[in-house]
Amino acid sequence: MATDEISKYLQQSHDRIFENNRKWAEEQKTKNPEFFEQLKAGQAPEYLWIGCSDSRIPAEAITGLGAGEMFIHRNIANLVCSTDLNVGSVINYAVRHLHVKHIVVCGHYGCGGVKAAMTPKDMGLLNPWLRNIRDVYRLHETELDTITCEDEKYNRLVELNVIEQARNVIKSAAVQQSYAKNKYPIVHGWAFGFKDGLLKDLEIDFEGQLKSIQKIYNLTTDMLEGS
Amino acid sequence: MSIAITDPIDRIVAGNAIYARQTSETDPNAFAELERGQSPEILWIGCADSRVPETTVCNCAPGELFVHRNIANTVHGNDISAASVVEYAVAHLKVRKIVVCGHTRCGGANAALTDLDLGTTLNTWLHPVRELRRKHRAELERLPNDDARAVRVAELNVHQSIDVLKQHPAVMKAVSEHSLSLHGMIYDIGAGKLWLLKESRGKKDYGLWTPK
Repeated sequence: MATDEISKYLQQSHDRIFENNRKWAEEQKTKNPEFFEQLKAGQAPEYLWIGCSDSRIPAEAITGLGAGEMFIHRNIANLVCSTDLNVGSVINYAVRHLHVKHIVVCGHYGCGGVKAAMTPKDMGLLNPWLRNIRDVYRLHETELDTITCEDEKYNRLVELNVIEQARNVIKSAAVQQSYAKNKYPIVHGWAFGFKDGLLKDLEIDFEGQLKSIQKIYNLTTDMLEGS
Repeated sequence: MSIAITDPIDRIVAGNAIYARQTSETDPNAFAELERGQSPEILWIGCADSRVPETTVCNCAPGELFVHRNIANTVHGNDISAASVVEYAVAHLKVRKIVVCGHTRCGGANAALTDLDLGTTLNTWLHPVRELRRKHRAELERLPNDDARAVRVAELNVHQSIDVLKQHPAVMKAVSEHSLSLHGMIYDIGAGKLWLLKESRGKKDYGLWTPK
């Protein structure tokens, strides 16, 4: 493509976003003239979604939720690392300030991040992030090594990654303290499949997981409380 | 409005079943296409706020926007999460645009107007946004009210995130090869509309794509 053509193409794809946005805003107002006024008043989402950045899984669209219903964090391979202030701030705000009732960690089959992590290659800047997925493999090495089919192994790693990240959410002080006091939030682990567009519940036993992590990771008592 | 399902988890599971059915009805090959892979043109860096669902407000389809959303759409220079998203989107998926989108009524921008203690985690995360308030004190004081100040802080924060992104090695390379441009936007929650931001210091136009 010539430079002029590229410029024209970029201008068009850029304009499209604004045209689409105007169309969407008009549609909402036709359906409910108060829609935007209501949103302006504030948000009270019931859910926090921690999902993958992958463009094919827009959380609200695949769950049928509208604007105002779900607080969202999306990163590469839906990871929840203890040293990551980014996800830590999201969990903190969602649990302590918005009082969400459910936290969903959602991975997906065919995840590029999980695949990249299983590729024996130097990925530069991505190494430290993807390393967390390799650690999930190591935690479940015995199970994963018994799976001979490569696709099945990859799918199972996607699921195990979700389960480990959900456990990491449960390990957070915000979740442990809120649950001790309010009996919420409940943490769920799901996987999205492109074959049928459906979510699979990985059936995390929240209370059981909470009990099991608290042997080592109990943070229910705030050290600074009252000081 | 009749609410048949009261359990919030049942509700989104049912919502997902409707999504899957409708998508296949509209285009029987939709999921087979999606399964093949993604090639989004845009990386969207937005706020975690539930009122700004990027794919919905831009009327886009699944597969169009690669997404990172965090508290107050803030990009820190030393944040490995956002840096990994940018690296993957720019170096591997070769997106052509990065959009940083702030919004009106942003809890993070509002919180940045004061030094109210939000707990150590959020205080640390919002520190660079609060620094913007200190740096632009005179300008912010001239504004009529806190709503206007929060919008201005949201705009300044978008510019700051773009400045940080411009130092990312993959971004620097792609910009110099003319295959990537950066765009700042604000989403007006009360109107449902996006605005483009222009660079305030007059040198460059971040917001609009301006060929040559």
